[in-house]
Amino acid sequence: MTARMNIVPLGDEAMLVRFSESLSPEANRMAVGFSARLAQSPPADVVEIVPSLVSVQLRLRPGTDFRHLVGELSLMPWPEAETPAGQEHDIAISYDGDDIDEVAALCGLTRDGFVVAHGAEPMRVLATGFAPGFVYCGFHGEKLTVPRRQTVRPSVAAGTVLFAAGQTAIPSTPIRTGWHVIGHTGFRNFDATIDPPTVLKAGDVVRFRAS
Amino acid sequence: MTSLRILRAGPLATLQDEGRFGMLAVGISASGPMDRGAFRTAGALLDHAGATGIEFSQALRFSVDGPVQVALAGGTFQVQRNGVAAPWDDVLELAAGDEVAISPGTSGNYGYVRFERELAVAPVLGSTSTNVTVGLGGWKARALRDGDVIGFGAMGAIAPPVAAPVNHPGDDAIRVLWGLHADLFDADLRQRFATSDFAVSSGLDRMGVRLNDGAGVFAAQRRLTLVSDPIVPGDLQILGDGTPIVLMRDHQPTGGYPRLATIVTADFDRFAQMRPGQIVRFRPVTLEHAR
Repeated sequence: MTARMNIVPLGDEAMLVRFSESLSPEANRMAVGFSARLAQSPPADVVEIVPSLVSVQLRLRPGTDFRHLVGELSLMPWPEAETPAGQEHDIAISYDGDDIDEVAALCGLTRDGFVVAHGAEPMRVLATGFAPGFVYCGFHGEKLTVPRRQTVRPSVAAGTVLFAAGQTAIPSTPIRTGWHVIGHTGFRNFDATIDPPTVLKAGDVVRFRAS
Repeated sequence: MTSLRILRAGPLATLQDEGRFGMLAVGISASGPMDRGAFRTAGALLDHAGATGIEFSQALRFSVDGPVQVALAGGTFQVQRNGVAAPWDDVLELAAGDEVAISPGTSGNYGYVRFERELAVAPVLGSTSTNVTVGLGGWKARALRDGDVIGFGAMGAIAPPVAAPVNHPGDDAIRVLWGLHADLFDADLRQRFATSDFAVSSGLDRMGVRLNDGAGVFAAQRRLTLVSDPIVPGDLQILGDGTPIVLMRDHQPTGGYPRLATIVTADFDRFAQMRPGQIVRFRPVTLEHAR
């Protein structure tokens, strides 16, 4: 196991439990698993648990004794490498993004070949939280790993299907992005009138299919 | 029903309550008052305080069409009631038709108006705070505009007393804890950060405060590629072009720019009230000295 747990303060009212300083499937599974386990019986001083790509933020009651809490967290059993089974979701995609042909070519595929490859394997929701309802899904494997674009688009609409770094991301609000646009979906993972406002959680499984 | 009419909303006038906590995992930062202490102070001036108040910058003019007790706090602004000067940091007993005009004073960016009644605004995800970045909560999910009319609701709760702010005489430095990526900056640069003058720039809003780095501390900062990690209010991050920016209440919940330091909670309000052009110095402290 290469991922290790490292706990650092984030200011004086939060701490970050980090499993890696770079993105890896293993560290991501550790973060999601740790978060799920902690949520079952949170320590008294922890008021919010926020899983991220390779880390978990713990927001703390003011005045929390950090040293004591770090000790308590260190005694927790290690999360399983496999996270608890998440829910499964189907997401229909129109593969009509401006960058689809460029991305297919970068992967050495035709457009149709890319569409098939993109939906071939179920993906995990790696993380949420970058923007309302935003999800990172992955990992697509080496053959479908392409770098980010050289230039940033100042705004893409909710439901734009983004692709880079072996991942697919879907925003539910307009965002600025340097990722490739491979398509669009009617799926929205955010509705402020419902609590909780999102459907997808880190650790869930998504299946992409062409609409 | 008694109501409040916004006659003139300055820039960044929003409804805020204590904040929308517990929503970071779904991608929403807590928002809430930029100067939480002042927001609470205004509440504590009243016998009863509605949970929702107005945060404004520069100026605000409003009227009421029925009797209501209001309190004003945060920074130092000038205030007139029906054209007659009234004290700041105090309570006004308003009668139907009364008009309150607030204009810039000697210090601070943000002022607060609290009312003895609730404002008739539906909470979104547990809070009435406005998140302008996302377009969520508050009054119609946006900043206040001239002509908005907001009804008053039930009498507010009895406001808890507020502890007097702790002053640090002779030391205006903003205390920071070293941040998530501090070890990616070499010791010399960290030393220069802790001993150089920065200035608050005019690029400031509820999301963040850009600093002018006159000494060029971060001028040669090279772009780092980092995995996205959670952000907290008060994080000082260095953008790709070397600009230092402090992330504030409507911050993006996660980010991938290197974060050198985090302003301690006890000094956050004071930093939020620093005006463009004001010199700011940062003093690294340990967790034990952060409170």
